[in-house]
Amino acid sequence: MSIRSTFAESIGRSSYWFLHRFRNGGSSLPGKLTLTIDPHILHSFSKKYDLVIVTGTNGKTLTTALSVRVLRSKYEQVLTNPTGSNMEQGIVTTFITAPRPHKKGLAVLEVDEANVIKVTQFIKPVAFVFTNIFRDQMDRYGEIYTTYRKILAGVRRAPKATIIANGDEQLFNTDSLPNPVIYYGFNHQHRPAFDAPANTDGLLCPKCQHILHYHLRTYAGLGAYFCPHCGFHRPPLTYAVTSLNKLTPTSSTFAIDGQEYTIGVGGLYNIYNALAAYSLGRYFNVSPAQIKQAFESDERVFGRQEVINIGDKKVTMVLVKNPVGLNQVLDMIATDLRPFSLGFLLNANYADGIDTSWIWDGNFEQFTHNDVRQYFTGGERYKDISTRLTMAGVSDLWEEPDLTKVVDRIKQLPTDQVYLLATYTAVLQLRKILAEQGYIKGGMD
Amino acid sequence: MAKYQLNLAHLYGNLLNTYSDVGNIIALRYYAIRMDTAINTTVISIGDQFNPDEFDLALFGGGQDYEQYVVSKDLPNKKAALSKFINDGKPLLAICGGYQLLGHFYIGADGKKIPGLGLLDHYTLSQDNHRFIGNITIKDEKTGNEYHGFENHNGRTFLGKGERPLGKVITGNGNNGEDGTEGAIYKEVYCSYFHGPILTRNGEIAKHLLLTALHNKYPAADLSTQRSLLIKPTF
Repeated sequence: MSIRSTFAESIGRSSYWFLHRFRNGGSSLPGKLTLTIDPHILHSFSKKYDLVIVTGTNGKTLTTALSVRVLRSKYEQVLTNPTGSNMEQGIVTTFITAPRPHKKGLAVLEVDEANVIKVTQFIKPVAFVFTNIFRDQMDRYGEIYTTYRKILAGVRRAPKATIIANGDEQLFNTDSLPNPVIYYGFNHQHRPAFDAPANTDGLLCPKCQHILHYHLRTYAGLGAYFCPHCGFHRPPLTYAVTSLNKLTPTSSTFAIDGQEYTIGVGGLYNIYNALAAYSLGRYFNVSPAQIKQAFESDERVFGRQEVINIGDKKVTMVLVKNPVGLNQVLDMIATDLRPFSLGFLLNANYADGIDTSWIWDGNFEQFTHNDVRQYFTGGERYKDISTRLTMAGVSDLWEEPDLTKVVDRIKQLPTDQVYLLATYTAVLQLRKILAEQGYIKGGMD
Repeated sequence: MAKYQLNLAHLYGNLLNTYSDVGNIIALRYYAIRMDTAINTTVISIGDQFNPDEFDLALFGGGQDYEQYVVSKDLPNKKAALSKFINDGKPLLAICGGYQLLGHFYIGADGKKIPGLGLLDHYTLSQDNHRFIGNITIKDEKTGNEYHGFENHNGRTFLGKGERPLGKVITGNGNNGEDGTEGAIYKEVYCSYFHGPILTRNGEIAKHLLLTALHNKYPAADLSTQRSLLIKPTF
């Protein structure tokens, strides 16, 4: 480690200590300071850690959390970054504030798609995990092909790293890279050829530009795709979900290669995250039995869903940010056969995406078989989401732009179960109110 | 069963679906039901035949550069049919990429000139490393209606002969950020850069398209109830 790196690291460490001692914390400033003094600081950590990078549009956080849990059954210490700290500065902060490892440690980091190259130019990872590429907030991110090219630019700096990729995502099958690739995916059914719904991204065959067909589709464009025109098809899977046994809003039971696993979180998309963590674990020679124990131990999974008790209401709060994520959450809620209430808090600040058009891709029409007793909306753009629900056929709807009053009105809802979808800044605002009123501790990292 | 039936062609709906244009179909259905009208939607994509006589309405949305480029190569196969559809006075809503592709050409993000159908007399240039992004309000000078939308486009479109703008920009950038126009109207073709989606925020346009389609298909019908449908503000 150079003198400059050592100095930079110690400045970063003390600023982190200061921020956490005297302020409410902060995860990017220490990294920023460190990078100002030594832009190459990440290089100094390459000898201390083996690195795994988890990237993609959705599922980075839970895949990383589950991977860490799986790998801790083999490694004494696994370093990881808190959610939201997935850009260069936050990653530097993660390294400089970690306890110094005695021997070479393992770091499993979620990395923002455009920041992969900022890490790989200094540290060559052992492995990459690719979750998926979906359309994200269109005012902030580019097109799906641009996003994938950004990831590839980072991967080209690490041609020896093994790529553990979602085989059901056709974009991950479009470029020939020198890297070894392991694919994971779903193999729980095989149907006669069918089309994906029209409102799906990325349906063009990358080889001949015809529309892809499927033998199995899980959600969005993911599945056992093939091109009826040129024969392009999903690559063989090394690890596969072979059956879906029980799906509820709070748990999923499924089999990977015939062995049954349960995770304490609902949503098909989270099974992909578990499958990705499983595949990474197997790559590091963690046994299926150890992985099962890691998945099923009762330690709370950190995810983007949490249940908050407000009065006698159990409020499941879910952050939503893009159409595919929104539809996965709606599909998960539709597995709840109990009576429930459904709310949506919509803001359109920069962090939420300033264009609210994406709510129209959400399938709010699907709850005809559910017992939804009350719908409600709030947030700065409540009118947009109210219009969406109204045009989906919802007639019993209340609106409350003031989030403080939303909390009071939730207590009056006719059901114990409440699902509350919210965009990023609406989650922050609501958590602040809930913390002030003593329903939860602290804010959000 | 609704009294009236309208057939909607969703042009390239499985490729040009990036900006939630599907919301326009949801809005059309919502207002159509209130006009005793059912909408039957068919996606017409690459390689598919488009028979203009089978359809009463069409939607042509926007997509990613790659998909739009692939669509542009298929368009010549549908040009004659689309020309007939437009000349028959049938309503067509074209948003963003669809709007650009109805004109002579547009310049893609990589500087490549992509030929359009040339059925409308506009053309679209690009801007370097910049997009028009943000909320936009315009006023239709003929009807006095104000329309609200969200724009997100790199293209700068310039209108040609026979076209009038959908509205005059009150706030935002519009077609090109220079001449204060937004969108285009030619016969019953309504073009715009508006996302939001446009018909979910501007029910008056949805109502107009539906009434036109109903009048074309059922010339003898008494549509006074349909005409009296009150559009409540949604934005």
